[in-house]
Amino acid sequence: MAVKSKTFLRRAEREDLDTVVGWMEDPDFTQFLYGDPARSPRQIRETIVQMLGRSAGQTVPGAIYLVIDSEEYGPIGMLSLQNISWRNRACTLDLYIGQKHLRNRLVAAVAFVRAMEYCFEELNLHRVGAFIYAFNERSWRIFEKSGAVRELVLPKHVARDGQLHDVYGYGLLRSEFEAFKAKHARSIENLMSSMVDDHRSSEPAPENLS
Amino acid sequence: MILGQHAVIRSAEPDDASALLGLYDPSRPRCCLLDGRREFIIPTRDEIREVMNQKEMGRSMLYAVEDKAGVVRGFCSLRGVNLEASFMETVLMFHEDGHFDTPLAEEAFAFLVQYAFVRLKLGKLIAYALDTESSLRRFLLNHGFQSNGIQREIVFWGGGWHNIEAFSLFRTNGASPV
Repeated sequence: MAVKSKTFLRRAEREDLDTVVGWMEDPDFTQFLYGDPARSPRQIRETIVQMLGRSAGQTVPGAIYLVIDSEEYGPIGMLSLQNISWRNRACTLDLYIGQKHLRNRLVAAVAFVRAMEYCFEELNLHRVGAFIYAFNERSWRIFEKSGAVRELVLPKHVARDGQLHDVYGYGLLRSEFEAFKAKHARSIENLMSSMVDDHRSSEPAPENLS
Repeated sequence: MILGQHAVIRSAEPDDASALLGLYDPSRPRCCLLDGRREFIIPTRDEIREVMNQKEMGRSMLYAVEDKAGVVRGFCSLRGVNLEASFMETVLMFHEDGHFDTPLAEEAFAFLVQYAFVRLKLGKLIAYALDTESSLRRFLLNHGFQSNGIQREIVFWGGGWHNIEAFSLFRTNGASPV
């Protein structure tokens, strides 16, 4: 698929650390993440160092962390593939857009498509799953527009701001992504635009796919 | 130790390793015995015994379910507590599927429900079943669990893809404790 974009994925470097830690310290960002919200900056930093360190070129890594980079904007976000099962050819995806002003932009959809291409066409996976909070509508909208199926609705599964919220479980099979690409082969950029257009003018909620 | 009318439910011990190993049946994988990546594994007896010997085992809430003759027929467990959202995962596994239709399963389940909803005051129990675990699925649905959907083609074994169904049971759904 020839998507002309200056957004690309790359292995994380040590010098990305400050950028990623900066995102992780932003409450507006961490609202969409699992984990203890009371973690200290030192703990966050240690977690990030551990994550970035694990993206080294192991032959069968259980997790892969990549930086979403852009010639225009610099590092935009992070992509993590967790629980990679080489037997089941499956993983779960977390996609974070760290730069707030880009969260409601085409770049989120481009990053998602890049991630799927990496999963299916480079890693030869069969299935990519993701868990997204129900209130993070713009994120699950991108999944659905790409052909992913909302397979699970986990009621009252995550606590935020004193309330229990539903979590959606999505699954995208390789055949579904290939069908998505084939259907939109000539207008993939328009399609990706449509994945975010509907919400460009809506409420300014963060845009993290997780 | 819980002395039921038909079952004895007690904390699992290292001596139960053989009985637990018997549940790792490659021809009939159980969802609750898949690892974190949903892969089927077969540990050795020594590995199971080693895990059961660890001190943390006392908090892992794995229980053997014996019949009145003292034979271990299966295991039950609560695991993966989420304190924020107040839920845990329910695990029920028997060497024979037919045990899901017996008082052994009823008493084991009642014990778990009592523990989760009364003692721990959790709000929700969750459970998972492979598409091949029809007895477990039927048992869960007959005991108030609601299906939350199916993760498609998420496990590969026996030359094909298999699905996993997720379930939940809320305290208010009326699963009465023992």
